[in-house]
Amino acid sequence: MKFLCVPCDEQMKLKHAIGPEGGSVALVYACPACSAEMAMMTNPHETQVVGSLGVKIGAADDPETAAAASKCPFTGMLADMGVPVTGTRTAENANPVESGNGGPGGIPWTVEARERLANIPDIVRASAVAGIEKFAEDHGYEEVDAAVLERARSFFGIA
Amino acid sequence: MKSYFDLIDDGGSDIAGQVGRQRERIAEALAGVQHIVAIGSGKGGVGKSTLTMQLALAMQRRGRRCAILDADLNGPCQARLAGLENAALIPGGRGMTLPRTANGLGVVSVGSAVPESQDLDFASVARGDSHVWRATREFNLFQQLLGLVEWGRLDVLLVDLPPGAERTLQYAEVLGASARFVLVSIPTALARGVVARSTAALRRTPNATLGLIENMSGYYCEDCDEVRPLFDHGRVDTAPELGLPVLASIPFDARLAAASDAGDLESPRGPAVRAIEAAADSILNGLAERRAG
Repeated sequence: MKFLCVPCDEQMKLKHAIGPEGGSVALVYACPACSAEMAMMTNPHETQVVGSLGVKIGAADDPETAAAASKCPFTGMLADMGVPVTGTRTAENANPVESGNGGPGGIPWTVEARERLANIPDIVRASAVAGIEKFAEDHGYEEVDAAVLERARSFFGIA
Repeated sequence: MKSYFDLIDDGGSDIAGQVGRQRERIAEALAGVQHIVAIGSGKGGVGKSTLTMQLALAMQRRGRRCAILDADLNGPCQARLAGLENAALIPGGRGMTLPRTANGLGVVSVGSAVPESQDLDFASVARGDSHVWRATREFNLFQQLLGLVEWGRLDVLLVDLPPGAERTLQYAEVLGASARFVLVSIPTALARGVVARSTAALRRTPNATLGLIENMSGYYCEDCDEVRPLFDHGRVDTAPELGLPVLASIPFDARLAAASDAGDLESPRGPAVRAIEAAADSILNGLAERRAG
């Protein structure tokens, strides 16, 4: 979707995004010529449809975020959305890497190990975290780092 | 006033760029995969998943490096068939490590992460209207699996498709023109009608269909040690109407069904497995011919 400032005949540029709130995202666009601003507001269905494409609405704030988004775009989208979920998952365990409090088992994760979790599809990430933390607990590791992940790969015979 | 096509980008989100990067990542992840073969039908319950597993095992016995991607996200069977219901999903440096069976067959299935007591439930801000976005989200997950798994070097990646003639078409579009298809039917008019729809759908794509596997062509009686009729009152010959070469006719073998349920990868010897091995040979020959051509 693109927006044109009709009086200036100039394409409006995305300035910032607000939300989501109640499933709605507000995208604020500004005209580079006259500085007029407008907001496009999505309803929850529109937010969900775009989110289902696995893309992130709004420009990435920094290269690290952009890199993570390129690995698993939906991760960024869902994390930013803070979406409420149903069933047996919660927003926290659906994306534990973003929670900042380690996984469900409470074992701390190093930044590198957390970043690697972006390589697991979001829908199965909670299961992956649970398996890795159980492996770490069973083997007496107090922290999940890249070396523990490599040992887990070897242990499960898949290295 | 400028038109849509006069405006260069989308003003900031770069949605098209993000979609392009997803495709690049998939291409990168599949760079070491020589052939993709999708096992479909359109019809449910004809034995696609069991055949996919058995074909992979047969190809593996022939020295081929194989893996299976279970595209049936809502009714995943490959995790159970492989005995990988609780497979460890470990993130590597570049992607998700490919889970493997004890005999080295790579198997990626949502069933390894979502227990059979649960359905596949996606997070949503639009509750109650999942029909609007669900298919899009499922294909996004499928693309994530294609692009995030460390597939490594494979001779054949077998994709176990879900039922639905329209799904067969959609997976052809997602997998790309180089993916080959094998359709599975059983000798009933009911199955033939649905498989005919999938055949028609695939004709609208550039994807080649290698042939048809006629499953449950009879049943193997272990006591008699012979194959007996299964659909003798209404048996139909599927192949002529569909215009596809028959790769194999495979009898039902209760021992194979029991082994599959138990996740036992030791294929019981008999006419069913011999026919599956013939099908695997036909598929491998078909791939080699197309490559040479």
